[in-house]
Amino acid sequence: MSGLLHGLLYGLPIITVVLTVTALGLWFERKFAARIQSRKGPTMVGPAGILQPLADVVKMLQKEQLTPASADRVLFELAPILCGAFAVATAAVVPFSPTVVAADLDIGVLYVLAVNALVLIPVWMGGWSSNNKFALIGAMRAVAQSVSYSVPMVLSALVPVILAGSMSLSDIVRYQAEHHWFALWPTIPGLPAFVLFFLSSLAEANRIPFDIPEAESELIAGITTEYTGMKFGLFYMAEYIHTVIASAVASVLFLGGWDGPFYPGLHWMVLKTLLLFASIYWVRWSLLRFRSDQLMTLCWKWLVPASLLLVMAAALFVKVGGGH
Amino acid sequence: MAIEDNRSFTHPLYDFMLTVPGLSLATGRVDQLLTWGLTNSLWIFPMATSCCGIEFMATAASRVDIDRMGSIVRGTPRQADVMVVAGTITVKMAPRVKKLWDLMPEPKWCLAMGSCAISGDFYRDLYPTVPGIDTFLPVDVYVPGCPPNPEALMAGMLRLQEKVRLQREGKWAPKESRPETAKMIMPALRRINDPARDPSVDKAQLDSAMKVAGSEPLEEAPTPERMPPRSAEPVPIDGDLQALLTAHGVTEIPRDAPPLVPVARHRDLAEQLKKRGFRQLVTVVATHYPDKRDKAGLILTPEYYEVAYALRTVGRGSQLVMWRVRFEVPDGIDSLYGVFAGADWQEREQFDLIGVRFAGHPDLRRILLPHDYAGFPLRRDHASDAPCAPWR
Amino acid sequence: MSVVKAKRQNPHFRLDLYEPEADLMVLNFGPQHPSTHGVFRMQLHLDGEKIVKAVPDLGYLHRGVEKLCERLTYVQITPIVDKNDYVSPMHNEQAINMAFEKLLGIEVPRRARYLRTIFAELQRMASHLLWLGTFALDLGGAIGGGASVFLHCFRERELILDLFEEVTGARFHYNTHTIGGNRHDITPGWAQSVKSALAVIESRIPEYESITLSNGIFFERTKGIGVLDGELALELGITGPILRASGVDHDLRRDAPYHAYDEIEVKVASAEGGDCWARSVVRLAELRESLRIVRALVDAVPEGPICGYKPIKLVGQVKIPSGQVYSAMESSRGELGTYVIAGGGEGNVSPYRLKIRPPSFHALSALPYLLPGHMVADAVVILGSLDPIMGEVDR
Repeated sequence: MSGLLHGLLYGLPIITVVLTVTALGLWFERKFAARIQSRKGPTMVGPAGILQPLADVVKMLQKEQLTPASADRVLFELAPILCGAFAVATAAVVPFSPTVVAADLDIGVLYVLAVNALVLIPVWMGGWSSNNKFALIGAMRAVAQSVSYSVPMVLSALVPVILAGSMSLSDIVRYQAEHHWFALWPTIPGLPAFVLFFLSSLAEANRIPFDIPEAESELIAGITTEYTGMKFGLFYMAEYIHTVIASAVASVLFLGGWDGPFYPGLHWMVLKTLLLFASIYWVRWSLLRFRSDQLMTLCWKWLVPASLLLVMAAALFVKVGGGH
Repeated sequence: MAIEDNRSFTHPLYDFMLTVPGLSLATGRVDQLLTWGLTNSLWIFPMATSCCGIEFMATAASRVDIDRMGSIVRGTPRQADVMVVAGTITVKMAPRVKKLWDLMPEPKWCLAMGSCAISGDFYRDLYPTVPGIDTFLPVDVYVPGCPPNPEALMAGMLRLQEKVRLQREGKWAPKESRPETAKMIMPALRRINDPARDPSVDKAQLDSAMKVAGSEPLEEAPTPERMPPRSAEPVPIDGDLQALLTAHGVTEIPRDAPPLVPVARHRDLAEQLKKRGFRQLVTVVATHYPDKRDKAGLILTPEYYEVAYALRTVGRGSQLVMWRVRFEVPDGIDSLYGVFAGADWQEREQFDLIGVRFAGHPDLRRILLPHDYAGFPLRRDHASDAPCAPWR
Repeated sequence: MSVVKAKRQNPHFRLDLYEPEADLMVLNFGPQHPSTHGVFRMQLHLDGEKIVKAVPDLGYLHRGVEKLCERLTYVQITPIVDKNDYVSPMHNEQAINMAFEKLLGIEVPRRARYLRTIFAELQRMASHLLWLGTFALDLGGAIGGGASVFLHCFRERELILDLFEEVTGARFHYNTHTIGGNRHDITPGWAQSVKSALAVIESRIPEYESITLSNGIFFERTKGIGVLDGELALELGITGPILRASGVDHDLRRDAPYHAYDEIEVKVASAEGGDCWARSVVRLAELRESLRIVRALVDAVPEGPICGYKPIKLVGQVKIPSGQVYSAMESSRGELGTYVIAGGGEGNVSPYRLKIRPPSFHALSALPYLLPGHMVADAVVILGSLDPIMGEVDR
């Protein structure tokens, strides 16, 4: 019972914060992209257009919800809901500060990776049930990509697990707070593992240069081609939530989470998350896109062997350098 | 939408809430919020076909930046609120536009950008174009210009915002009708918002759209016996071009036109010229000459075609050689497909527009016009404003 | 430099001869699609994501321009053809007026020839900038790095449009050329504005190159994709940057000079490889070359009249009784030709038949040869590298 109470007490605020951060992230991305492109971006609603995501959501809620006649109705309706739910579910175990964590699981890392991989299922459901060829190709690409990139992602997440000797996210942060951030020391395998983990989570979240499942130039809108209104909105938001959570998890695993001087832990955690979040958009708005087979080559020929080596290096470091 | 009593929608629950004292203020606020969201997030589906599409892109670009008002461009009609029809809509394209419009979820608006979309501009009475998209789409805002400046399109979007706001507040007044000017401004074809419009036109257009929805496959031509030609090795040009033409039956070389070659020898001439370095097939031009009759109606000269071919050498001092072939209408001409791979599309185009039959062409079917179009539009006896159902 | 050689596909390949157990999917690409550069439709027969056969379908923008020209007088035609290649209207106007001048045997004054050359080269720059932007969109998507390149290119394109606006009063569809010369003379400070705009553009070309040519992803996506055989390109009538990228050194500006090109040396950019990469290299080199030509000419514009024909007061003033003429110039996409047969209309004021030879039509005819064997993602890149403008393809 107390577990449920704890979950509600921390879970609801965390979800609220995550959603707010996502909305702000949407606005931030549009302004940031506009600045990169020497434009102004949204300016008309609220100061500097900060209410733009709100206006978009209000608009999407009013749009007609269409289901194509030839679509698989149940899967089509279910997919965006599941997509949003799985994206938020990851936030449950992320420790935002020593106290603010909805569920401090002993196997937090495993949970995060597992739920991350689950997002694949609604994406496939959406693409398949739309009965649209562009959506189908997009979904096929998404599945191939997510399955492939799960491997280097899991392997690089193993590096902090081995170094800290725990699968609990809070324990990993505590270890880093006591000793050193894994992205800084041991530099090998820490820093490459951080970069690898970050790249793979970008690929999992379908961000450029890994956004081939919704490559607008080829596939119009990929899996969301047939989705209207808030159903599309859920996919759209899930993508951003996914990005926020991926940044948060990466900062927990490699950048010491809430650890930092002077200010309370939550501030540091949010700061690190936002920095990673911004860097994702920096990459997104300045790079072109890979082709799907090139992505697979990159994954299986370079990232997977590299991450295996990093896991070995981490084990070696613990054995020789005297970790825990 | 029930806009008479200042409300944007009706629902039993909403009606009940309005009767509760105090709640109407709250619902009024909610209504304002909904309108605010709707007007500030008008996502655009660009139906950009031609020149106006480029100015539309310029509107989305840095100088004008339509993103300032929260409008982003979506490639799929499912996620858009405004369809910006930018450019000429042809009879072949119009059913697709209608289909895409039907794919958009309500509430939706349509903005006609440029004079082609508004009225067809100077193409309006030509055989392949639609005289204004409001013959089959309900247009909300017209932005005139050829093409309109980006600033004009932005102003049009702001006008649309205003229109949506006023509509939601129930203030929008339809334009007053002035019977004394109605005859002057009435277009030949009734527009879709016109109550006096003939419903059979709607049905014909809808049927036409449905036909496209079935997406009949492009019919396949039979396999050619002749494979595409093999590459020829470059051969240096020798100067006796005139001798070559004479050897192929050219009797005189006129001063203001390419020489006439007998129809039987022309393919052979093309082969010889290719061997002499004229490796680029520049163009194929067919022309139709209707028969000439005297006053009694007797045929003086029968109807005939002329097909002109142009070949070119490449590199410095590039040389162009042209010749014409003349033959009577029911006959055909040997295709150059076996010599130049480019004859495939170029001769097909001339078949489509003029109706010349090319013997030995692997794939002689329509390329530009709809596959069920009747007649060949560029023949001199084909009226330039020949009707094409259901738009004219 | 050598002409590119590649295996030639059969464009009329029969699908039932493909592996019988393969389960082919038909993907309809267009006519409304973010990357078809207008309204172009392709039917792609896919084996997985691999293209087995591509069947292009044109005509969604067939507006009947050639028929319209038979109805109009020679004077009225110029503003109509502006709308053909709507990315480089200047070239359209020049091409059509060159044909009429050739029919009439009119000499264009030297000042007008210089102005035409400058306009043509500025327009080429604007067109190539637009190509670079849309090509990056094809590669990087509307939501991503491609959009950044696109918007930067448009920012610089606006500078050129401003220059044209200063002279002609229009952003495009200028209607500034007439039979025998130009309609509008340049304004006094125009040369200075040109030079300052060129300075801005020149300083930003390295920026484009850093985000495209020297970008690893760009290289991976374009190198070896859509290799066009040089001989095939010639047979198909492909001209311009695409032909030059296939190793054929051919440019009408140098090989059959018109305007003032006989007074200035044009360095013809060409590349080997015949792939999308080579086409990009050629176009960016042409951007620099056009910049150099404009800079060299803008100060050397001679004094004199800008029109060598009597002032046009009536639409039916120009009468040509007979004659057939083909005249060509190098537009941003290649050889833009006009074939005119005079002697139509009441009193010979209209052409009897007018055919516009659009370079994009020929470029698109290479698609059935280029696409098979590539993936869907490459189809977009190949189409983008051909830089078709549907307005002039369909006319």
